[in-house]
Formats: sequence, C-alpha cells, structure tokens
Amino acid sequence: MPIIVNLDVMMAKRKMSLNELSDKVGLTLSNLSILKTGKAKAIRFSTLESICKVLACQPGDIIAYVPEGTKILYP
Amino acid sequence: MKPRTNEVVFSLLHVLSWIFFIGLCIEAGVLIFNFLFTFFNPIASHNIYKGLDLSNIYENQFPHYIGLMGFVVVLAVLKAYIFYLVVQICLKLNLVKPFDCKIAKLIEKLSFEAMAIAVLSFIAHLYTEHFIPDGFEVSDVENYWDDGAAFLMMAAILLVISHVFRRGIALQNENDLTV
Repeated sequence: MPIIVNLDVMMAKRKMSLNELSDKVGLTLSNLSILKTGKAKAIRFSTLESICKVLACQPGDIIAYVPEGTKILYP
Repeated sequence: MKPRTNEVVFSLLHVLSWIFFIGLCIEAGVLIFNFLFTFFNPIASHNIYKGLDLSNIYENQFPHYIGLMGFVVVLAVLKAYIFYLVVQICLKLNLVKPFDCKIAKLIEKLSFEAMAIAVLSFIAHLYTEHFIPDGFEVSDVENYWDDGAAFLMMAAILLVISHVFRRGIALQNENDLTV
C-alpha cells in the first residue's frame, strides 16, 4: 500500500515506548501494534489526534504517501 | 431484539435443529435398511416406511423400484445432511462476532445442498411421471419429493444470505483493522 506509517520513527525520536504511548493515547497495545506494523486498514481522526497530541507532531509525521516502487532509504 | 432474547431464540433453534437432524437420520436409516431388506424379503415392499407400498412395482418392474427407492433414499440422506449443516452453523456461530469465513462457507454449502435437493426432487418427479408405466400406483412415493419448490426457494434465499455474509466478513475485517 502506498500509505506508510512512520509511528516507530516518531516514537524513536520522542524516545517513547509502545507501552507508554498506549497508556497516554488510550489505545490497546494490539491496536497500536496493528498501526505500527502497517496492517491497519483505516485510522480514526480521534486516534490520529491523540497520537499527534502525545507525540507533539503533525499527522504527516506519522503517515506518509510513498508511490509504489519507490525505495525507502532509512538513515 | 434484545441480546438475551436473541440468545434464548438461538438456543431454541439449536435444540430444534438437533431434534430434526436426529429424526431425519433415523428416517434415512430406516429407509436404507428397509430398502436393502426388501431384496431379501419382498413382502417388506408392502410397507417400506409409514405405509409406503411399492409391492406392485417391485414385482413387475424391479429396475424402476430400485430407481424410485434410490431417489427416496438419496433425498432422505440429503435432507438429514442439510440439518447436519444447520447444527454445525448453530455450534460455530458466535452472536457477538457472527461474520466468520467458516459460517459463510457453511451457509453456501447449505444453499448448494438445498439446490441439489430441489433439482433431484424435480428429476424424481419427471421420472415418476414419464418413465413409470401406467397402472402403477406411485402417489405415495411422490410425497417424498413434492417439496422441491420450497427447497429451490430456500436455496435462492440462502445464496443471497451467503453473499451478504461475505460482504459482512469484509466489513468486519475492515472494522477490526481500524484503529
């Protein structure tokens, strides 16, 4: 899917663990894991709002559009 | 309907489907046994099951007797199998999360089974009408396949339900993967 989730990148930047994020956002660990691994089919605005609030970031920092076939080079 | 009422109705249906399944199994078993028994004891063809008398056709047109009884037995077995599938659905259905691939497959199977019964009933009806020579009393045996139209309607409804169910599974999966 061309939409990728960069939640793990933002979590690493904020030095936040999945458990901590789960507690602060109010999402279950399994749901957060679904989102982090890119298995999620949809994300509610309310969830996105909570994550952005906790991680102090913009929605674009968490999800991004990458055209298919593009190689992603992580630093 | 309230969830509690739903559960009660569902339990009732479960018990009823077991009763029907056991009853139809007994009927199919008795028909098979009596059919085989008539090979060794022709007198049994006077009353095969619940007054079904095919003695005349047994004595004069033995291949047609086998054909007729074949239809009767196969239809009885298929009807028992339909209720076996209903019992399976009742066992596997989870009312909280009803949309499951296994249930969809069972409903689809049920639909095809009902269709098979309808087609077989129609063929059996044609067989008795056109192939049994005149003068043989076959009205008793017609009772075993006079419900073909009902099964055809049931098959069509179940097919629609199975398609709706598949859509329900897709929606439930999407809902499960929405965070």
